[in-house]
Amino acid sequence: MNPADPGGAIAAPAAPGPASRRPLPARASHFGPAAGGTGPDAAGLAFVAEMYGVQVDQLAAALGVSSQRAGAIAGRWVGRRLAQAERLSAGPRWVWLTRAGLTACGLAYAPSPPALPRLPHIRAVTAVRLALQGAPGYAAAGAHWRSERRLRSRLGGRLGQRDHLPDAEVHWPEIPAGPPDGSGPPAGPGSGASQDQAGGSVTDLVVPGRPVPWAGECWAIEAELTPKTVRRTSAIMTELLSRTGDYGCPAAEARVPGRPARYARVIYLCSPAAAGPVSRARAALGPAGARIQIRALPEAGYLRGGRQARR
Amino acid sequence: MTGLARSAGRGLARLTARTAVLLGTAGVLVAAVPVVAIGAAAAGLAWLRGWPPGRLGREAAWQLPMVAVWLAAIALTSQSWERTAAAPYRAWLAMWQLAQAGSYARALVVVAPAAIPLGLLAGAAAWAYRLRSMAAAAGGSSPGAAAAFDRRQWRHQVRTARARIAAPGAVPLTTAAGDVVVGATIRAAGPGGDRAASGAGGLARLPYERLRSHQVILGGTGTGKTTLLLRLWAAFLATGLRRHAAGQGRAPLLVVLDCKGGGDARRIASRARRVLRAAGARATAIWPDEASLSIWDLPPDQLVTTLADLVEQGTGGAAYYADVLDAVVALAVTAPCGPPAGRAEFLARLDPGWLTLAWQAGGGPELELIRTAGRQVADVALRYRALFRRLGPGLDGPGSLADADAWYCIVEGTAETAVAEAQARALVDLLASYITRGPGDREVLLAVDEFSAVSRRLPIWALYERARSLGLAVQVSAQSWHGLAPDDTGRYRIAAAAEGGIWLLRTPHPDPVTALAGPRRVTETTRRLIGFPRWSRAGTSRAADAPVADPALIRALDVGQAAYLYRGAATFVQISRLVTGPDALAAGLATDPAPARAPAGAGAAAAEQDSPARARPPGAGRRRDSQVVMAGVGAFLDAAFGPEPAGAAGAASPVPAAAGDPAAGTAGSSAAAGRAVPGTTGAPGISGGRRDR
Repeated sequence: MNPADPGGAIAAPAAPGPASRRPLPARASHFGPAAGGTGPDAAGLAFVAEMYGVQVDQLAAALGVSSQRAGAIAGRWVGRRLAQAERLSAGPRWVWLTRAGLTACGLAYAPSPPALPRLPHIRAVTAVRLALQGAPGYAAAGAHWRSERRLRSRLGGRLGQRDHLPDAEVHWPEIPAGPPDGSGPPAGPGSGASQDQAGGSVTDLVVPGRPVPWAGECWAIEAELTPKTVRRTSAIMTELLSRTGDYGCPAAEARVPGRPARYARVIYLCSPAAAGPVSRARAALGPAGARIQIRALPEAGYLRGGRQARR
Repeated sequence: MTGLARSAGRGLARLTARTAVLLGTAGVLVAAVPVVAIGAAAAGLAWLRGWPPGRLGREAAWQLPMVAVWLAAIALTSQSWERTAAAPYRAWLAMWQLAQAGSYARALVVVAPAAIPLGLLAGAAAWAYRLRSMAAAAGGSSPGAAAAFDRRQWRHQVRTARARIAAPGAVPLTTAAGDVVVGATIRAAGPGGDRAASGAGGLARLPYERLRSHQVILGGTGTGKTTLLLRLWAAFLATGLRRHAAGQGRAPLLVVLDCKGGGDARRIASRARRVLRAAGARATAIWPDEASLSIWDLPPDQLVTTLADLVEQGTGGAAYYADVLDAVVALAVTAPCGPPAGRAEFLARLDPGWLTLAWQAGGGPELELIRTAGRQVADVALRYRALFRRLGPGLDGPGSLADADAWYCIVEGTAETAVAEAQARALVDLLASYITRGPGDREVLLAVDEFSAVSRRLPIWALYERARSLGLAVQVSAQSWHGLAPDDTGRYRIAAAAEGGIWLLRTPHPDPVTALAGPRRVTETTRRLIGFPRWSRAGTSRAADAPVADPALIRALDVGQAAYLYRGAATFVQISRLVTGPDALAAGLATDPAPARAPAGAGAAAAEQDSPARARPPGAGRRRDSQVVMAGVGAFLDAAFGPEPAGAAGAASPVPAAAGDPAAGTAGSSAAAGRAVPGTTGAPGISGGRRDR
């Protein structure tokens, strides 16, 4: 196993839980009682590690606690030298993991504070993750967020000119974590029930214990704050849509005509300024653009004072 | 009486002398028994392995460091150059003393530094003498002994070569110096000392430049031709990619034209893809099953030629109709509104009314031509309609040769020869246009397999003459000499231009090719029969010419054996098969022989994008209604992020937010790309706009 990717290609899906905003389920028990590790601690540390760093308000949203409580948790991490916290931008403090924190999570990422120019983007991606995780059905379907940091670590510094890394991948396993009531195996995605309900609301689509219609897919997530040129955006879209191999795979397998595409769809979360070029780039792709979905970036994805600057 | 006594005396003296020589020789042999034993063993090993004498000489040279160390040690311990110079003699003396004392092991150790190299040299000399005498037919007990010796040596050499390539990973695809490794050398013959000839059991290496020149491969079915071709293709890509990465050359592009077609071609395509992927190819497109190319991207003048060549034209009186067809095609393609963007638009233009409207603005001789050829235009349209139906959509797609590192093009030469000829012609035209008018940043190898299926209408030599300057190498393979071209002129034209060498596998009629390789000088010796079955050694010898590559030997080659002819030398090679991973083709492709008109994809990369069915990630093999999924995803994303922003859901969106129907984006995308869509811009479609080239 790649030491930088302890979870393998796709980490184990999270346990099912209520669809509303709630504390993240514990992924691993790296923390014993001696370390003072609790479920939220472990999950929070892993969350922070995967996102490069997060602001305390987003950490609070991730852990399902108040900002004050999240600040206290971050302070405890800092006290144990698992994390560092500083005010890197306007708004709440940023928290990121030290080498000890990353080691405690079993991750071999390079410990460094989030880069200042990337802070808006990191916050935007974190907000997208939180919004997705809060959406009904995400946890029930056992979806898994695979961060850019994990993808980059799989490449091991071999990011070629042709490789564009998405901001994240979302994996939808074909078999959900299990029916909450334990009543038998889940129905397949092609079952009549799910298709009949497909045209309804999302609550109709997501039935606990039953795969979502898009189970088995892998999505690429792109958060666009600043507008790129249509040509560049179109090239990125084409690259993502035509990719067949995982990141870190042999170069020859990255794009193999005839193989199933890696990403069933690409989800763009755009600021108002970036939405136009992204939509034009999607239109330029023609029918292939059908696999691209564009939505607005959540309000919580903007750094304080950044939204006005990008309008 | 005196004479008799004198004669007897001479005989006695001769006998005495011979006995003395024999005794002396025996004494020397006994005295130098370590050298003799090693020499005999070395010569025996060379006989068993089929090695050339040079191999033993090289082995002897490799012993020199040991000798140097041994002498240096003696010089250091004795501090006397006389003792150092006499070291071999003293070792020999010490060996006998130790042997006399019963210390045989120590005796061997003491004499080994001197005896091993000398023994190897003696073995090389003895083996060379034996080979030369047999080659001159002077050795052996009968005139037929030389032929039997040669057959035996061939078996030994083949066994050695097979053992050389048997171990996994024993034969690399390329060497560190960039040479292409084909397998193990069985035997080399002829002048020049070709680099491929490294003696039996050595690796058969070719400089990469040979693959950048034209080559010809001849071999019957089941002789290992495909194995050889796959190896050459993989080596071309691997070396080309490495050179390109090092800034020493342009990126390679391999275009394979498999003119046999059918399920067999698809199985080979599957294997080729795996082999090429292992060699570093990022993308291998299989035409027309998975990817397509577009003849409509050709420049107008080239498009006219290609379209006219697609249709088989007769001679004599039928030539008139060929001229009419050519004129009508030219009028349709070079119309003032720009060339057609697809087959539908082209067929729509094959109408007198359309042509008149298109050309009436300029007036001129074209209108007169349209009036003259008006009655034949419908016939031309009918002919092209039928042709396009048979050709399938493989030449109508948006793909480009630049989309992949390798293109494996399957034309159904066995099932539909006429269609295959037209397809091959169009593909070669596309490649020629890509090379001459494209970015010019690729080193191209065009490999035409089973050329006989399309040789009637594919004048491959047209590419030969200017190919090198354009960075194009052509590799033609056929099952026999007669499959190279319809007539001898064409065959010799192709074979004579094979600057990269000719590969001959087992084929029933190799003589014309072996004649091209030229002769070599051999010594022929006659032996006098002195009573069956005894031949004396008295006889005569003369120099004569014999083919470098023996046609009889080539007719008898086993599977996986080939003769490589280059610059008057022949190297017989045991080809090493490339071992690849499991089949990675889409299900059904390798087993389902799709005909030429099977639905094609939409380009190497776009093929995957255009089909939602192909968008499923690995493991999601169950068939689902993509629209249901799309609608569900939309609802989910709406719940997570809200509805699609107004700017994104505008007129340019190919996906209506409500239904998410991919087909709804077609019109928008066509408009965005500035392409003329026939039927959408007025009756004749003339105002569809000139294509932006």
